[in-house]
Amino acid sequence: MAEAMADSYNGDSEPTTRTLLRRVLDTADTRTPRRRRSARVGAQKALLETPSSRRLSSPTKMNVRRHSHRVRSIGRLAHVHTSGNVEEQTPRTLLKNILLTAPESSIMRPESVVKPVPTPQVVQSSRRDSSRGSLELQLPELEPPTTLALGLLAPGRRKQRLRLSVFQQGMDQGLPLSQEPRGNASASSLTSSLNLTFATPLQPQSVQRPGLARRPPTRRAVDVGAFLQDLRDTSLALASPGDSLRTPVATLPADTVLEDTQPFSQPLVGRSPSGYHSLTCLSHTEVEDAERAVSLRTQSSGPRLQNHSLYVCPAESPGCWFLLHVRAESVLDQDTPNKYHPGKPAELLAGKAKKVDAHAVSFPNNSSAISGEDGVEPLQDGVDEEAEERMEESLSVSEVMDTTGTQGSVRTEKSKRHREMSEAVEAKEPEGSSGDEDISGRRASPELASSTTEFLQARQPQFLEPALPPSTAVLSSEPLEPLPTRLPPRARTPGPRPRQDPHKTGLSHYVKLFSFYAKMPMEKKALEMVEKCLDKYFQHLCDDLEVFAAHAGRKTVKPEDLELLMRRQGLVNDQVSLHVLVERYLPLEYRQLLIPCAFSGNSVFPAQ
Amino acid sequence: MAFSTTVSQRKHIKRKAPRGFLKRVFKRQKPHLRLETSGDLLVHLNCLLFVHRLAEETRMNAFENKCGVIKKEHVQAAAKVKVRLKSLKSVCNSKEEQRLEVKEHIFENYMMYYFRW
Repeated sequence: MAEAMADSYNGDSEPTTRTLLRRVLDTADTRTPRRRRSARVGAQKALLETPSSRRLSSPTKMNVRRHSHRVRSIGRLAHVHTSGNVEEQTPRTLLKNILLTAPESSIMRPESVVKPVPTPQVVQSSRRDSSRGSLELQLPELEPPTTLALGLLAPGRRKQRLRLSVFQQGMDQGLPLSQEPRGNASASSLTSSLNLTFATPLQPQSVQRPGLARRPPTRRAVDVGAFLQDLRDTSLALASPGDSLRTPVATLPADTVLEDTQPFSQPLVGRSPSGYHSLTCLSHTEVEDAERAVSLRTQSSGPRLQNHSLYVCPAESPGCWFLLHVRAESVLDQDTPNKYHPGKPAELLAGKAKKVDAHAVSFPNNSSAISGEDGVEPLQDGVDEEAEERMEESLSVSEVMDTTGTQGSVRTEKSKRHREMSEAVEAKEPEGSSGDEDISGRRASPELASSTTEFLQARQPQFLEPALPPSTAVLSSEPLEPLPTRLPPRARTPGPRPRQDPHKTGLSHYVKLFSFYAKMPMEKKALEMVEKCLDKYFQHLCDDLEVFAAHAGRKTVKPEDLELLMRRQGLVNDQVSLHVLVERYLPLEYRQLLIPCAFSGNSVFPAQ
Repeated sequence: MAFSTTVSQRKHIKRKAPRGFLKRVFKRQKPHLRLETSGDLLVHLNCLLFVHRLAEETRMNAFENKCGVIKKEHVQAAAKVKVRLKSLKSVCNSKEEQRLEVKEHIFENYMMYYFRW
């Protein structure tokens, strides 16, 4: 093994300790005949040639050894006589030196490996001459081991070989330890370089594969925090929502593609979808919190909003939309029996929250690819960071909820329709939609449902209806329809919704694996396609397993069926058994569960 | 530990199998069937291998098109191949034939990739 390594390295890189050791062993045999010859024959040329020849020639052991021998022999010209000692001392001394000089190994080692041949050759030849000429001369060179080592490392392998040879010479001659460290440094550097060469390949891979880089979701947390803070603040800055929009946009643009139409995004469809998309991409966890906060705020703000009565024409004017929401919220509050009075600090906040809600709702619509909605624009104007965050949250919630997008489309359609209808309804819609979205989403997932507040629950009925019919409804339109037809759709939504969220979460697990195996950056659409493929794959899988189990007359799918399936897929064959695959790809814990293993007490687990 | 059906020593497993998700998927698809305890681990293994092969195929497609980014079309083409092969595998009895087919396809892709670059 060492020889193999040394061979390869001799051909390609600086000699390592192992090569040195090998050389030592070899030199003992071949020293007399070869060295003299090589020494006489223009060691320099040999030196120059050997590095190149080493590199070019196939690293056969003999060639490598010869080369190494030549290289070393040059250094050993003086030490031909002291062959006997070298054999005994050098290995030990080499090892000792390695141990001593281990820290001296420089990081520059790998570079030296890559250095071109000519420079090292020149240097080596010069050095060899010097080394041959007088070891003493080399001593001063060697004395500053680190610096020299570094310098030597930079030029290339030859130099290191020289150093080693010099070192060996020094050893033979009993040079002071200064040289030894030097040689050791070279040797250790070689080893370290070898180690580095081992290690470096890994790094470039990771660096060269930016696709594997994980998208830092840090922004989402910040948004939420900022959002909550903003909510707490009493400042109602409706203008300049762009800033907050932009920040999430940067983070989320890609994510939005994944999510289909979100309910209640209609009103804001007209706005820049990107911004909203980013908002929607917020983490669902944040959405949860945001929802609650929003819902609470909206509730409290409802009555206050009424006071504002900023309502203008529905939907068309940018500012109106926002006001509509405000009004709607107030109306909603009146309608909804739940009492939510969370006691939000400021009316403005409530108003803002409502706006955010509306925006959030609208965002889903935008994300749902409903273009041309005005809602977005008005939202942008009036929405501040808080609103955006809220929207993001709701959007994300809606996204979660509307994986297929049918629900979203339904809501959007409804919202659109309702928009024209009445402001109050519209106002309700965004609230209801956002709340419902959240609520429905929550309902689907039990854990979420439990966390929802009354407000959310109240919103659910409103929301369910719009969600159900797959139409591109405007947020505003939603409230009208959902109100009367809330009850029937309610039963429907819980069904598909719980199927989507955890289903997607589980699929995302494999999608991440796919992106890891691909080792390349991937587009969002490609990831969606992968999800669809996985869906189909699971269906095929279940069908096949059913067939196999039925063929065996069973109603339970057993591991034998799985094995048969993999056999048919060609993964398991006579050469590769299932256990081999289990060992290769599954973690140890699962392997223990799958592969029967004998334990003490005459027991086998898992039992066969 | 030998007799425990759960991981006892260290609870932290890298690349955990979403056993609950797999069970749920199976139940949803085939509610009249049951899946055994260790069966979902093998299903997870199957998924891993499938995803691995799909990713390799997709990567090769992307290389063929000299793209640095994997696009939807690459995935689609790879999926078609996979589905076709899978269906063929399930239909065709001769595994060697299937394997040869797969190998040919892969080899062809490699050659294209090689010559393009």
